[in-house]
Amino acid sequence: MLLPMFEFHEPLSIEEALELKKKLGQNARILAGGTDLLVHLKKKLVKTDNLISLSRIKALSLITEQKDSIFIGACATMAQISRSPVIAKKFTALKSGCDNLGNHLIRNRATIGGNACNASPAGDTLPALLIYDSVALLESYGKKREIPIADFFTGPGKSCIQPDEILTGFRLPIPTDHSGAHYIQLGKRKSSEINVVNVASFLEYDPGTKKVITTRIALGSVAATPIRAARAEAALLGQAPEEASFFAAAEMARREDCRPIDDFRGTAGYRQAMVGVLTKRTLATAYERAKGA
Amino acid sequence: MKKIISLTINDQSHEIAVEPNITLADMLRYELALTGTKKGCDTGDCGACTVIMDGDVVNSCLVLAIQANGSVIETIEGLSTDEGLSPLQEAFVEKGAIQCGFCSPGIIMSAKNLLDKNPNPTEDQIREGVSGNLCRCTGYQKIFEAIESQRS
Ligand SMILES: Cc1cc2nc3c(=O)[nH]c(=O)nc-3n(C[C@H](O)[C@H](O)[C@H](O)COP(=O)(O)OP(=O)(O)OC[C@H]3O[C@@H](n4cnc5c(N)ncnc54)[C@H](O)[C@@H]3O)c2cc1C
Ligand code: FES
Ligand code: FES
Repeated sequence: MLLPMFEFHEPLSIEEALELKKKLGQNARILAGGTDLLVHLKKKLVKTDNLISLSRIKALSLITEQKDSIFIGACATMAQISRSPVIAKKFTALKSGCDNLGNHLIRNRATIGGNACNASPAGDTLPALLIYDSVALLESYGKKREIPIADFFTGPGKSCIQPDEILTGFRLPIPTDHSGAHYIQLGKRKSSEINVVNVASFLEYDPGTKKVITTRIALGSVAATPIRAARAEAALLGQAPEEASFFAAAEMARREDCRPIDDFRGTAGYRQAMVGVLTKRTLATAYERAKGA
Repeated sequence: MKKIISLTINDQSHEIAVEPNITLADMLRYELALTGTKKGCDTGDCGACTVIMDGDVVNSCLVLAIQANGSVIETIEGLSTDEGLSPLQEAFVEKGAIQCGFCSPGIIMSAKNLLDKNPNPTEDQIREGVSGNLCRCTGYQKIFEAIESQRS
């Protein structure tokens, strides 16, 4: 399969990349790991005259720990995020997402920024980005903005990112004590498959009152974008973290929050049923981890 | 417009002029005649094009040649020596892990990279370590056994 001809740009700094993006605008596409974009270009689903590769910009692939948050550069790969000790310790649901994306080859190239900008409703890192309350860091020439991840996705394959902007990374607040999270993805096979349903849950409880004081639940592959399960979250908040309340929240997620469709990977009904099962399971594991934390 | 890139392939340095829209797989096959690296799908699905790039396995059909500028690449051609096939390649032959052979260069590169990083992988790690490589013929069991036989 031939790639169409394009000009290739390899900026060495974010500034240089932003200048190029300003100059070339709509006529340029950002290239990160290329595992979506090169496929789309080969299949002629995307056209462009210019590719701006970010892979030589070192600042974009850093994972750094600040006082109460971590920064994950947009070009950090799945393999790199999975290997990070702070992610393994404090962001277990994100680690599971990265561990399970594609296969061992794809994970060496696929970046978290590419996964977010590709904005597939089934994207493997996206539910975790949602439940950790991540902030997307966007930059254009001379301008920066921060977008809460809940406002980032606008439709299948669409995000709020503007033609002159680059996603530089995400900031994730470090989860507090007595909190835990979990992610489960369900596909037809374990490797190299697009999810049928994927769910991540986060909960924090008060060890004094034994009540859930924060919860965030995110559902993938069951709406036009990855979504937060607002009704399920409301049902769980203030409840005791136990089987019955996890089940009640899961029922809300299944009946009220998700809007799945039929496709060749599964029916809407099956997806809806699995939203219930996975919500309950991820909450139960999140609580086990919160107790251990 | 062609650009000159320099890279190391199987311990040999190369300087080569490439168009920006040529993949690493195509450069290896058509510019350097290293046709051991196969192309099954050209879209990242099959793993036939697996090579090791700077110590990590990648689908060379999803890497632009120009992105490999300055990189160290290992392909299946780099495994054998004057003495013959490498022990891992021998194991694939011995255990019947090769039938048509189209997937073999890719799978062997994945297996080599796995064993380089972790000389004693568990059963799950072996399966995970070749999870991006499809084989139409063997049913995978013999591939698994060949890799398993090379654990230290
Ligand atoms: C065989 C195979 C299996 C796969 N399996 C999975 C899977 O299981 N789960 C899953 O979620 N995905 C999967 N994918 C899809 C893909 O690997 C991921 O979406 C990956 O994270 C994309 O990242 P990338 O760095 O390769 O993005 P690229 O392909 O480089 O870019 C993707 C898009 O985002 C834009 N972009 C990238 N970075 C930026 C940035 N910093 N700023 C602005 N725009 C940007 C690009 O212009 C492009 O439109 C699979 C792909 C393949 C080929
Ligand atoms: S040819 Fe590259 S993955 Fe199939
Ligand atoms: S031996 Fe034929 S594809 Fe694997």
